[in-house]
Amino acid sequence: MIEVQDLWFRYPESDYVLKGISLEVPRQSYVAILGENGAGKTTLVKHFNGLLKPTRGKVLVCGLDTREHSVASLARRVGLVFQNPDHQLFANTVYEEVAFALKNFGFPEEEVKRRVEAILAELELDRYRDRSPFLLSMGERKRVALASVLCYEPDVLVLDEPTTGQDHKQKEKLAELLQRLVDKGKTVVVVTHDVEFVADHIPISIILSRGQIRGQGKTLELLSNEDLLAETFLFPPQLTAILWKLSKLGLHPAPSVEEVVEAMLQARRQSP
Amino acid sequence: MVSALPPAVIFEQVSYKYPRSEEYSLKKVNLRIEQGEFAVITGPSGCGKSTLCKCINGLIPHSYGGTFKGKVIVHGKCTLEHPVYELAQLVGLVFQDPESQLFCSTVEKEIAFGLENLGLPREEILARVEEALDLLGIAHLRYRAPYELSGGEQQKVAIASCIAMRPKVLVLDEPTANLDPLSAKSVLDVVYALNKKLGVTVILVEHRLEMISHLASKLVVMYRGEVLTQGPPRKVLFSWKILEIGVGLPKPLLIALMLAEKGFPIEAPPLLPEELVELVAGGEER
Amino acid sequence: MRVFEGLYYVKRNTAMHRLDPRAKLVYVLCITILSTAVFHTALPMIMLFISVIPLAVEGRVLRRLLSTLRGGAMLAAFIFIFNFIGRLWNIGFVSPSSPEFLEALMPSLAMALRFLTLIATFSIFFLTTSPDDFAQALVQMRLPYDYALTFTMAMRFIPTLAREAQIVADAQKSRGLELEKGGFMQRIRNYIPILVPLIVSSFRRAETIADAMESRAFGASKKRSFLYMLRFKLSDTLFSAICIAITAAIIWLRLSSFLPP
Ligand SMILES: Nc1ncnc2c1ncn2[C@@H]1O[C@H](COP(=O)(O)OP(=O)(O)O)[C@@H](O)[C@H]1O
Ligand SMILES: Nc1ncnc2c1ncn2[C@@H]1O[C@H](COP(=O)(O)OP(=O)(O)O)[C@@H](O)[C@H]1O
Ligand SMILES: [Mg+2]
Ligand SMILES: [Mg+2]
Repeated sequence: MIEVQDLWFRYPESDYVLKGISLEVPRQSYVAILGENGAGKTTLVKHFNGLLKPTRGKVLVCGLDTREHSVASLARRVGLVFQNPDHQLFANTVYEEVAFALKNFGFPEEEVKRRVEAILAELELDRYRDRSPFLLSMGERKRVALASVLCYEPDVLVLDEPTTGQDHKQKEKLAELLQRLVDKGKTVVVVTHDVEFVADHIPISIILSRGQIRGQGKTLELLSNEDLLAETFLFPPQLTAILWKLSKLGLHPAPSVEEVVEAMLQARRQSP
Repeated sequence: MVSALPPAVIFEQVSYKYPRSEEYSLKKVNLRIEQGEFAVITGPSGCGKSTLCKCINGLIPHSYGGTFKGKVIVHGKCTLEHPVYELAQLVGLVFQDPESQLFCSTVEKEIAFGLENLGLPREEILARVEEALDLLGIAHLRYRAPYELSGGEQQKVAIASCIAMRPKVLVLDEPTANLDPLSAKSVLDVVYALNKKLGVTVILVEHRLEMISHLASKLVVMYRGEVLTQGPPRKVLFSWKILEIGVGLPKPLLIALMLAEKGFPIEAPPLLPEELVELVAGGEER
Repeated sequence: MRVFEGLYYVKRNTAMHRLDPRAKLVYVLCITILSTAVFHTALPMIMLFISVIPLAVEGRVLRRLLSTLRGGAMLAAFIFIFNFIGRLWNIGFVSPSSPEFLEALMPSLAMALRFLTLIATFSIFFLTTSPDDFAQALVQMRLPYDYALTFTMAMRFIPTLAREAQIVADAQKSRGLELEKGGFMQRIRNYIPILVPLIVSSFRRAETIADAMESRAFGASKKRSFLYMLRFKLSDTLFSAICIAITAAIIWLRLSSFLPP
């Protein structure tokens, strides 16, 4: 779906921010890109819809070289949701905000209406339909921004730091929504430094640090690699930390909370 | 924590409604935070945490207007009777967005800003700026422009510019929300050190309790404008109710709750992985 | 945009940079008086214009200055053309070889050169004076601190605003906005989705800044103190004295008709 081949990138007058990135996001996968602040995550995903073009190397989206296609045509396939909703909300009503992309992409009027209503219902925003997006709370504004990309059903959805400043319940709801999209066959990429969220919800991860890829593979395996975590300025998720301490209980590497509970009860029963 | 000192912050039946808003954002809030305490405030988004923070240094109601009922008393001073600039010398306030709260052209001038406002002599300003830089471990950033720093460094600059005014209470509203784990930890460590070293009372808003609850001497849970519970973190958090209102419990505690349901005796609810492990380790020894 | 580049401080350590902003203001004032009130023809304008260059070289901002002037050249050309056409209009269009033609041409040229000279002078000032020092100079010249602060804050947030504009543009392009699409009016309308978020988030930021300032005792004392005060050094006095002396001499020479108008 997205293929990055030896991508090097630097901003005008800066050093290289991305240094030889190669990765592949397969169709219908659910992937996290993890890394510290300034690792280059945002810079990387801006290559996915052609906002930035490689200084060296190549980015292919559905087989199309991003250098040869306009942002508008690539964005139709790769929806990018930015971190701060306030950087994109501008319309008078939530309805118009969500309809913006659909109109830009030339959907017929009937279709625009149908899609906007559908997505507003799905994200529980229908009661704000005619309100100004500026008067909503941060959590709601984030959902409107998400809706305004989801509505045109891009094949790939990329979310930049969707969990910052969100409370536990908001994160759980987001996780449910993303899972639904994945189940529907969409490809979802989440850019974040929220280790806990990734460990709980996203099966595959790519760890980026200082412009280079330091690990790729199953999330829980990566996040229990002590050396890798230390090198990439990350902490283990809580469950992994618990597991390290409980190593003598002989749990397999990626247990659920329930399994830990069961093993602890077992250990207690066995001790006299 | 029993102390003879007067409390640092008291909220007495505080209700507050923003102008042009229909609903009260704070509803009969009662709160008591002792001097030297490290209090963590948590609760779902929109429950009134930021509103509460702005009450402590008088921004609410002095700058915001609206309907204010009840009393907030900081070190014996009722916020209604003292202007913000006076309370600012007692209470330092650090905001969530690292960049917007820094408006000077260098870190040094940022830290000096509050002191200049107080009209302190130049030598005193210089001494206090250097002291604050050292306390926060950011002396190397002194002549840098705040906007070119990383988020974690910016938060430390914001804290330094409050600390330089030698406040008795430091209020931090989600200071780590935009930071990666390592920067977040380093900011929280610095705040903890200030609390221990200088005895500054800390009031800190945070969602990610797994990072902070073990440092807190008091945990306050807010819900829909009210204070739901307050007390020692282990006691407050060891409850399914907290999970239900949408607060994320640290996993060791969650596991302990599930263990307790199955008849596993939990004397001290664990906040950290190592504390959880002690539950079984202790069992083995017996 | 280039014109504004010339107003943006370049951090260097040169004699021009170290000069007190008030001394530099004396210089700016002198050139302004000479180019607007004393001289009206092209030749002295060129002389004044050239006199700026050694200072730019000393301050190591010549390249910036040239790029500013390149930006200003457009406007200067406009000024020239409008002036020239206006004058020709008044005297009736005459043949290019007639003396009237030259009489219309030269003052128009002088106008354009005056404009460039002023741009160059102000640009030298701003290129070598940090906004902080400028604001501090204003305060020490008894301008209320609030105005000075507004100025420094505006300068401080320019890079932030520029970065934000880029992010907003990227976000909207990601939703299919094409800035280059449509006719003239449509193209202007295309910018609305970029301007609105910029303005709204600036307002939000302004609120936070106001809160942050108050939280740090803004307005506490009538007698605000300053970490750094500007000191008028000997070199500043000398520089100002030289500027004034030369200006006075030139005016005297002009009044006694030793110099052309
Ligand atoms: N527009 C820009 N111009 C110059 N440098 C930039 C720009 N945007 C980001 N950078 C730099 O690139 C690096 C990576 O930034 P970014 O991709 O935003 O990281 P992340 O999203 O992982 O936090 C950082 O060092 C940052 O300072
Ligand atoms: N400036 C304001 N004007 C009107 N209502 C506000 C304002 N700020 C916050 N509110 C409202 O007050 C409530 C509490 O908000 P806030 O204190 O920001 O919550 P938290 O910080 O816990 O997320 C929310 O319902 C919010 O919409
Ligand atoms: Mg980023
Ligand atoms: Mg808040």
